[in-house]
Amino acid sequence: MKSQSEPTSDVTPDVTSDVTSDVLLSVRDLRIAFDGVAAVRGLSFDVREREVLAVVGESGAGKSLTTRALLGMLPKGATTSGTVRLRGETDIAAQRGRRIALVPQDALSALSPVHPVGDQLAAAVRSVAGVSRKEARARAVSALDRVGIPDAVRKARAYPHEYSGGMRQRAVIAMATINEPDVVVADEPTTALDAELQEQVLRVLGEQREAVGAALVLVTHDLGVVREHADRVLVMYAGRQVEQGPTERVLARPRAPYTAGLLASLPPDAPESEPGARRRRLPSIPGSPPTPDALPPGCAFAPRCPLAEDHCHQEEPGSWTADAGHDVSCHRWDEVPYPATELFLEQPV
Amino acid sequence: MSDALLDVRDLVVRYGTVTAVDHVSFTVDAGETLALNGPSGCGKSSTVAAVLQLRRPEGGEVRFEGRELTTLAERELRPLRPRMQPVFQDPYGSLSPRHRIRDAVAEPLKVQGRWNPADGPARVAELLDRVGLDPAYGDRFPHELSGGQCQRAGIARALASEPRLLVLDEPVSALDPSIRAGVLNLLTDLQDELGLAYLFICHDRAVVRHFADRAIEMRAGRLVTA
Amino acid sequence: MKPVVRKSVSQAGLTRFVCLIAVLATVGLLPWLSGRDPALTVLRARSAEQEATPEALAAIREDLGLDAGPLSLLGDWASGLLRGDLGTSWVSGTDVLPSVVSGVQVSLGLMGAAFAVAVLLACALVAPVLVRGRGSTGAFAAMLAAVPEFLLATVALLVCGVWLGWLPTSGWAGPEYMVLPAIALGVPAGGLLGRLVADALPAVLDERWVELWRGAGVSRARVSAAALRRVLPPLVPQFGMAAVGLTGGAVAVETVFAVPGIGRTALGAAKSQDLPLLQGSVLALLALGLVAGALAALGRRRLLGPALRDAGLTLPAAHPVRAHPAVPLILAVVLMVTIGWGLLRDPYTVDTTARLLPPSWAHPLGTDGLGRDVLARLGHGAASTVGTAAAVCAFSLLLSLALGFLPGVAAGAADIANALPPVIVGILVAAAAGPGTGGAALAVALISWPALSAHAAALVQEVRASMFLTAQRAIGASPLWILTRHVLPSVAAPVTRHAILRLPGIALALAALGFLGLGAQPPAPEWGLLLDESRAYVERAPWAALAPAVALALLAGLAVSGAAYAQGRTGGRRTGEAGRARITKEEASVEVAVRADV
Repeated sequence: MKSQSEPTSDVTPDVTSDVTSDVLLSVRDLRIAFDGVAAVRGLSFDVREREVLAVVGESGAGKSLTTRALLGMLPKGATTSGTVRLRGETDIAAQRGRRIALVPQDALSALSPVHPVGDQLAAAVRSVAGVSRKEARARAVSALDRVGIPDAVRKARAYPHEYSGGMRQRAVIAMATINEPDVVVADEPTTALDAELQEQVLRVLGEQREAVGAALVLVTHDLGVVREHADRVLVMYAGRQVEQGPTERVLARPRAPYTAGLLASLPPDAPESEPGARRRRLPSIPGSPPTPDALPPGCAFAPRCPLAEDHCHQEEPGSWTADAGHDVSCHRWDEVPYPATELFLEQPV
Repeated sequence: MSDALLDVRDLVVRYGTVTAVDHVSFTVDAGETLALNGPSGCGKSSTVAAVLQLRRPEGGEVRFEGRELTTLAERELRPLRPRMQPVFQDPYGSLSPRHRIRDAVAEPLKVQGRWNPADGPARVAELLDRVGLDPAYGDRFPHELSGGQCQRAGIARALASEPRLLVLDEPVSALDPSIRAGVLNLLTDLQDELGLAYLFICHDRAVVRHFADRAIEMRAGRLVTA
Repeated sequence: MKPVVRKSVSQAGLTRFVCLIAVLATVGLLPWLSGRDPALTVLRARSAEQEATPEALAAIREDLGLDAGPLSLLGDWASGLLRGDLGTSWVSGTDVLPSVVSGVQVSLGLMGAAFAVAVLLACALVAPVLVRGRGSTGAFAAMLAAVPEFLLATVALLVCGVWLGWLPTSGWAGPEYMVLPAIALGVPAGGLLGRLVADALPAVLDERWVELWRGAGVSRARVSAAALRRVLPPLVPQFGMAAVGLTGGAVAVETVFAVPGIGRTALGAAKSQDLPLLQGSVLALLALGLVAGALAALGRRRLLGPALRDAGLTLPAAHPVRAHPAVPLILAVVLMVTIGWGLLRDPYTVDTTARLLPPSWAHPLGTDGLGRDVLARLGHGAASTVGTAAAVCAFSLLLSLALGFLPGVAAGAADIANALPPVIVGILVAAAAGPGTGGAALAVALISWPALSAHAAALVQEVRASMFLTAQRAIGASPLWILTRHVLPSVAAPVTRHAILRLPGIALALAALGFLGLGAQPPAPEWGLLLDESRAYVERAPWAALAPAVALALLAGLAVSGAAYAQGRTGGRRTGEAGRARITKEEASVEVAVRADV
């Protein structure tokens, strides 16, 4: 699903932020809080036509809430500010299915156990397109067929428990894309899957995205997935943007210590590393990510950051543009070395 | 083969008519790391349970430190169990939610009759310190720790039994990416220091390549040659 | 895994069968079990003037076949049953079958009307939840579900029938006679049904598929309809239980409104020691309950079809009602002050000059028909009712902890106990042992342990399946260590909380039996009995009826509002999903139990 195949994405890395004509989804200063605890703290980004934007972050980073805000599906009790515009409109809920759709986390449990799979897809078609029951069923069957479910006519009448794990994943993707939305939001679609299923899901998701010409917001904490599938990447930490930019640039030259640390701590992906390689300790980020109710003052990453100075512990960093389309939020962004291996090599405890 | 720490031969695990593990054989030498990977449902977990004798296998041999375990009665097996400790994927699930970390780490000492009120607490503090946890965390309950801290506590508890083999069942896949490397480093250090052997279940190939001396792969209950 | 499941299922099936046979045998053996000499009863009933000479009694005994011994008694009854012969009434000397049939006809009419009331009320309770999408019905529905039928019937009789004079309050002569009994019987059932659905809905709307559906653009109406479709099948068995509950409630309601149904027939037969008639009518009540259960099972199969085999069909745990913490506290304080005050006064002194006095400083809640102080009787009644309830609770707790380790047995027995309303068990026990506090306590205990043991069994299963228990075995811990250090502590604390929580419900069940004359006997100041006695002069001294009625309603309120505070601190605030799920599961089972009790 990466850029080469379609011309639009080819130019994406060169598009500077002032060119906004092809912006589909625009988020400005999004803030989400529960009971006064801020979970998302001022997030701004755009999703352009047909691009794949990866949102990277770990638990407590606020990425799941962000995806719900994109779909106008925040749970009750959330207080929000800022704007989310989809093709200029702010009433996202009215455009769900038609223009934006969700592939939820844990697709294995994402289908209703008491409805035949075909009926579930048809319900989406009937709600959005307002077609006849028969037409909706026909579209459901062809959507199942499209994602590679064999004998789709019969399988449309079957219940989710009659599907294998992989087929359920496909059916979920078929349901999210059945109304040909402009944006598909996938919330950790591969978490908790083994490597083979992961690949399968991402492949089907990519095929469907291309078939309907949709942009994809791919939430993940797997940098390997980002590297292979995303045009641009947004890195979140503790509810804020840490870094955002074209995937190649961010991964090749991360400007935020957090991103650099994440990359450095990945085991080297050499095809056959020499036997002695495993004796080496991995670079690692000390400590653990904070919870939204116990954020440290200043930069939220400062307590774990080997570059942090007094200033970092006192003041939250603003945003700097490292180079075209590559923004970073770090007081010391121009001092972050790469590779950051040495920086994150701790001494044995 | 008799000098291998763990020698598994023709292991068979069946659930009713379903054969989850079908004649699987492998060895783990002292101080080495053997990775076992494969897709979900391939029989990895059943293999782990059978190796640890938490579920008696339907066939085959599990020889550990030269002793055949499958023919031992539960009572005979109990004194041997501490030598072979599991570390599970879910850091919270493997510790009792109603016991403090301190008590969870001390429990193996008490169960195995090695608890001594005079130096026991110091031993627990030492173990917590060894896995990179501030001994002050001993007063907390598992849910008051982060996933990574909890996993470290689980490792400390396993070490309290003074094992020679750790069976690591996806020990980092439930952890946030920024803390995985730290836990892997801890395991590397412990191996260097204590000469532990690891049977390491993992589905991340890069981690396996980095971490393991050898790797075997399972599919549909059988070993496939890599 | 699978063979284990199958084994426990068949074990449960076996227990169910054994329990059913035991109940049937108990019914069949009633004449022998009762131990007291029924010949005397029969003699008195047949000819009041005749002397109770040994010869006369022996003649009757021979006539009734009472000397034959238990086995042949049971054999005779069973073979008669197979031929459709239910025997002859000892009192009237007529065939039992026609009385039973006419009673069942009346009761079916009443239950049908009550079921309609229940369904209407349930729809009214569910509708706002569906429209709003979230939230639950709250304390109101919980209260409706918790008010016992006998209390509602008495209040309805008092208000609509006596004070307002709108509707007939006694007899069965036309459709207007059906209104009040149907409401009294249908409202608690409707409250229960409505709550079950309305409380399950928010949890279902939190399920992951709703996200997918909404995210794919499915309209709110369609999602609501699908959620309703999703929620009903697992609840259908509970509907069956509610229908069974109707048979128990019918006894009280028919008695209050003098409706000649099968429930009143059974109660009357129990009181007059007319055992053949009692056998017939209890059998009819049991059959009604079994048919209701079977219909529910059928409905479930029809609703679910091929999806039935999916293990993921169990409902997610419901969020319990969260009343303000002050509510149960205030209710408890009001009750305790009243009871404490009453305990300081004398409940037995009869003062014929001070009969039916209105409330005054000398008698804060007035006096009853014999001039006894109502407040004093209320206070002393609470002491005995709550004391008995506490004993029942403790017994149930110990039994359930023991049986929690035998889930198969517990499940089967629980099924049968669920199919038996306490009133029917009370009738059986009273018929066998005579009415009294002990009998009533036994009846309620027989019914109240299964919910606790089901809870205990679920916890045992959960703990045994947990990873940390596996880790215990791996360090070489002995089974005794694991049991005493891990399993028991995980199970005992929540089950004990649950048992304490059931106390008000058990007290209400005891009061219901007292009200029907199956529990404590006059002049004991038992709450249900107080309410029953006051019905005789309710027009002249409504306060005498109002005091126990309000006290019982407060008790029901306490049962409901306290339920939400039953969970312990095992999870803590940061446990995440797993811990929270565990707590809500516990809360939910406690909730269901409280509802099932009252």
